[in-house]
Amino acid sequence: MTSSVQGVQPVNNTEPAQHYDRIHEAWELLMGAEFHYGFFADASTPLAAATAALTEEMIRRAGFQAGERVLDVGCGTGRQACDLAERFEVELVGITTSETGVAAGRELAARRHRFDVDFEQRDGTDNGFPDASFDVVWVLESSHLMRDRRALLSECARVLRPGGRLVLCDIIRRREIPFLEVRERRREFGVLRAAFGDAHMEPLTDYAASLTDLGMTVTDATDISAETLGTFAAWRENARIHRDEVIALIGVDSLEEFVEATEILERFWNDRTLGYGIIAATR
Amino acid sequence: MTTTPESILALIGEFLTRASKSRDDLSAQTSLWADGLELDSLEAAELSAMLEDAYGTDPFSVGATMPETVADVLAFYEGARTA
Repeated sequence: MTSSVQGVQPVNNTEPAQHYDRIHEAWELLMGAEFHYGFFADASTPLAAATAALTEEMIRRAGFQAGERVLDVGCGTGRQACDLAERFEVELVGITTSETGVAAGRELAARRHRFDVDFEQRDGTDNGFPDASFDVVWVLESSHLMRDRRALLSECARVLRPGGRLVLCDIIRRREIPFLEVRERRREFGVLRAAFGDAHMEPLTDYAASLTDLGMTVTDATDISAETLGTFAAWRENARIHRDEVIALIGVDSLEEFVEATEILERFWNDRTLGYGIIAATR
Repeated sequence: MTTTPESILALIGEFLTRASKSRDDLSAQTSLWADGLELDSLEAAELSAMLEDAYGTDPFSVGATMPETVADVLAFYEGARTA
């Protein structure tokens, strides 16, 4: 993981808190308060409504019940964990590899008086929690930054109680990309890596197959690439609206890199190279 | 540019430095993939392009199989040199 802004991440996991705050503020201006892709009903859907709709897609599949214990893997700034705890009266533990992310999450939980939410610095691929210690595992747009996907899913399955649910959404790879194509398009891939971190996308079917191998029952695996496509235009519009503020926070080069990355991702969505999936499974 | 093992190893070392990857264990026996340099497809593409820029051809883009080790890369150029 990188600096733990959820989903698509600015690179650098060792920056001091002040720098983290600047990046956080810039990315909030660009990506919206929820820091993740949107689920657009149509092109006129505002980004905030679309990101909320994606969260609702996850919530619907998670089926939270009051009193349950929930693990948020790759918890970002902690906002979502606090929101879920407040709305569903569940006990949340958010984990991230970012020390500054943990500090930000704890500060937010304290500000919101959420004593049922905790944040810990742990690795999703080796989380260290006891077996069968959670009712729900929630993985929103963090899996693509964990290279050992199998270890992530194995750890998610291990810590779920029998009958527990895993919900995960993320960027997916929609086709094989031949080596010569990777080479030909390496500049585009390089821009994405520079802007968003060391991401590795897998097909939705691979997630499902891994979970099945782990003894989980996959209850839903849906490609929502079409519904998330509008995200890039919305991010670019934010880049246009907040250009001066973002440049003051992270510089013009980073802003331009971000905009170019959204154009590349949009091309990859449209040519069916990359897309977005959501998956739910029970143990 | 001459394709001596030393120059090829130096170029791979330069690539690793650029990619912020460790070059401590770089030798002919080092795997390019897991348990070695741990290249992913983008990194392999970048190394492939560097090799081609330097030597006019590269073992990743030519032939049916990808090289597995640094030795395979050296052998590709040795074969080309002696052909």
